[in-house]
Amino acid sequence: MKRFDLIVIGTGLAGLMAARTATAMGAKVLIVGKGMGALTLFGNTVDILGEIPPGTEMAEGITRWIAAHPKHPYARTGWEGIKSAITAFQELFLPPYPFAASGRGNSLLPTGAGTMRPTWLIPVTMAAGAAMIPAETLIVGFRGFKDFQGDTVSLHLKCRGVTLSLPRYGMEGLTAPAIARLMDDTSFRERLGESIRQQMAGERFIGLPAVLGLRDPAAVLKTLETVTGARVFEIPMLPPSIPGTRVFHRFREELIAKGADFRMGHSVSGVMVKDGWCEGISIPNPPLVAEYRADRFILATGRFLGGGLWAEMDRIIEPVFNIPVFQPGERGQWFGERFFDPEAHPIHRAGVVTDADLCPVDAAGRVVLANVWAAGSILAHHQAIEEKSREGIDIATGFLAAKRALAS
Amino acid sequence: MDLKTEVLIIGGGATGTGIARDLALRGIPSLLVEKGDFTSGASGRNQGLLHSGGRYAVNDPDAARECITENRILRRIAPHCIQPTEGLFVSLPEDGPEYRADFIRACGAAGIDTLPLSPREALAMEPRLNPRIIGAVQVPDGAIDPFTLVVENARDAESRGARILIHTEVTSLIRDGLRITGVHVRDRITDEAFAIGAAWVVNATGAWANHILRMAGLQIGLALSKGSMLITNTRLSERVLNRCRPSANGDIIVPNDTVSILGTTSMRVEDLERYEVTPEEVTFLVDELSRMIPDLKGERFTRAYAGVRPLLQSEENSDDRTISRGFALIDHGSFSGPAGLVTITGGKLMTYRLMAEKTVDFICERMGLHVPCSTHTQRLPGAGQGHTLKDRLLRLRRQTPAAKGELLCDCELVPREAVDAILREGKVRELQDILHRTRLAKGTCQGGFCVYRLLGLLNERNKTDVSGGSNRILKDFLEERWKGIRPVLWGTSLKEEELIESIYKGMFNLTHEELHPNPPPSKGEGNLPARLGGGEA
Repeated sequence: MKRFDLIVIGTGLAGLMAARTATAMGAKVLIVGKGMGALTLFGNTVDILGEIPPGTEMAEGITRWIAAHPKHPYARTGWEGIKSAITAFQELFLPPYPFAASGRGNSLLPTGAGTMRPTWLIPVTMAAGAAMIPAETLIVGFRGFKDFQGDTVSLHLKCRGVTLSLPRYGMEGLTAPAIARLMDDTSFRERLGESIRQQMAGERFIGLPAVLGLRDPAAVLKTLETVTGARVFEIPMLPPSIPGTRVFHRFREELIAKGADFRMGHSVSGVMVKDGWCEGISIPNPPLVAEYRADRFILATGRFLGGGLWAEMDRIIEPVFNIPVFQPGERGQWFGERFFDPEAHPIHRAGVVTDADLCPVDAAGRVVLANVWAAGSILAHHQAIEEKSREGIDIATGFLAAKRALAS
Repeated sequence: MDLKTEVLIIGGGATGTGIARDLALRGIPSLLVEKGDFTSGASGRNQGLLHSGGRYAVNDPDAARECITENRILRRIAPHCIQPTEGLFVSLPEDGPEYRADFIRACGAAGIDTLPLSPREALAMEPRLNPRIIGAVQVPDGAIDPFTLVVENARDAESRGARILIHTEVTSLIRDGLRITGVHVRDRITDEAFAIGAAWVVNATGAWANHILRMAGLQIGLALSKGSMLITNTRLSERVLNRCRPSANGDIIVPNDTVSILGTTSMRVEDLERYEVTPEEVTFLVDELSRMIPDLKGERFTRAYAGVRPLLQSEENSDDRTISRGFALIDHGSFSGPAGLVTITGGKLMTYRLMAEKTVDFICERMGLHVPCSTHTQRLPGAGQGHTLKDRLLRLRRQTPAAKGELLCDCELVPREAVDAILREGKVRELQDILHRTRLAKGTCQGGFCVYRLLGLLNERNKTDVSGGSNRILKDFLEERWKGIRPVLWGTSLKEEELIESIYKGMFNLTHEELHPNPPPSKGEGNLPARLGGGEA
């Protein structure tokens, strides 16, 4: 049986970041997960904290914000921790497909609802969205591609919009991965660029759904910009997310190159725990159950959507280790009366509570398992959706959990 | 704009539209006003049960006989609105054999066919039933689609000369001495006010009956009883499952196409515009119905909703002229009230046609007309057209390849073209009107994906000329959706909710309107869902 220095449970951004950090430190790592996490659903840009208004310098804004939110996962990492983790993330995404902040604070990017959304690091394929001027922008949608409604975007942004029929649009409805794969083909994107050019009326910016290729998005961007002579940007839209899938692929490529083991498509079915110490996990691999042992474990299984938390009618549980979960009252108190309540729904504060080193603790503050750390959105006391902090929490706590785990 | 008609009907539920159709078939002009869309009240918020009458057989034989008679009539005139599933009355050990024996006897007396089944037979028919059952009785229950039923009644009435105005609210009654001679109304979307003159005004507003009567200084004894229901993501049984015991809360599961509807509760409410399904009711329904289907707790629930039954309290108000135990037709002129005003209320969906018949019989008698009712023999216009999932799949298969590629909703197979056809008719005025007329937002995600797509189509057709644009409509929709989803958020539904919140609050950032280029001016529209505006550009 193979023995690992570290087993990471969860293949979302937090797990990937933890695995990447540990392999970079020379550890032998196994990463297991049943899916690809929220990353491939909503991952587009890297949010740190959208609540910091654009125009406020991020370091300053976040330091002040952390002081006011002592239970938040960022209080464990601090601004310095976020910064070093983000730097490590950026090292994975070198030109021609870098992630960069467009200023010293958050920037606003257009979305698939024609709204504006604050974010921090922006992939090069979306960068022009932060600079676009509505009167000089053309929004391009595709007939039959229902997850990006171009008319909704152009009407709200007050841009001009066109809907193109894709040359290869066949009988079935178009999906984002299908269009992204078409974009990877040079002749396809050249022809698309040409049909956009014919629709232009002097626009300097062109907004498209975020489907500009899976393999080499920078090349797709370059082709479209060369043919149209305008600055092109992707607009985030309904899941699945092509930009998030690119991030996933980049991490996986790097982890495999560095010798990490991947077990995709499996949930953890059991854990071997003795005297507050986890010795191993088992993964069903029909008809067998495989057991894997390690010195350390990082739990990065996400929230309800990812399966890291599960709500029964009267309580919330953590299914892998059965770690105690902080829960805001009874079921009747989990949600506000309105969907768009100004306060995030109380349930979003639920999650795993940890000590300063990200080791899960019980209600009395005692460490539950001495060699288990938690990272990512499973942590309690954040409101990632409304705060716009999902990727920041994943990256910063994934990074910190790996550092702390390997230091032990 | 002032209008005139012979009979003015208030209320676009089953009773109101049933009256409009009955009048039309007898050649009497009518005009129906409804303050919302069709079936906004109890007609759209019930379990969709085609009663055999079995539920009433032991305690209320008259109601049972009424039910089975109407059951047979509806199967004849509205087969496309009905799924003839049959139903079982299931006895658990705690229900005992005595009620079962009474039940079979009472059904026989009421003319309801019964087929007693052994536990083994029942379990072979419905494998998810509690294996501890001591017996079951099969009766001719079924499922009914109230919305189609009501729309078909309305459509048939209109094609025979009736007029129908939805989103039109009665603001006051017009009184000329001792007689009501019409109503003042307001178009809830354009705010236009006008008067409608009529020889007779029929108050068919169900639970809202006193709301109208107060305008004439009248009141009837009506108790408002909320019943809450849950919808599962899958169909739990082939047949309607009832507990074989005296009627109580949490005793029925009605299958409907691909889902099941669990019910029900009974709680008094005061405010008809403000009531909700409580977490306690949800817990109660799941616990109680787990006795019939033991693995119910692992089920995914997609939505909860509640309706308000108007229950007559005739013993407290001797002025009521009770025609039958279930419903009452009150001619206010016969009792110290103004002439020309009748109220028909109480009753249930099953007896809507009978209620309409009695109302129109009465009006005919007063008008001195002798035209018999024919709603029990004349089939509804869509009879013969299938409405099941199988029929939808077959229709989809017959469509052109291009139209097939453009499904707005993948779960419920709603093509873009279906919405375009509704828009071409030109009658819909709100987003909810479109949702009522299609299967959009009725599947697993409850509109989480398809309404964004629908609004894209409406933008393309220039139908969203409202303050704040289609995102205003989207936000109103998500608030409305929330009322139904919030009570069932645990397990898998909660996973879905995190997805939906991540899209609309996270990715689209819809909470923070201050950051958006088109901040919606607040025009005090309140909770009214944003209207659809504009026309073809």
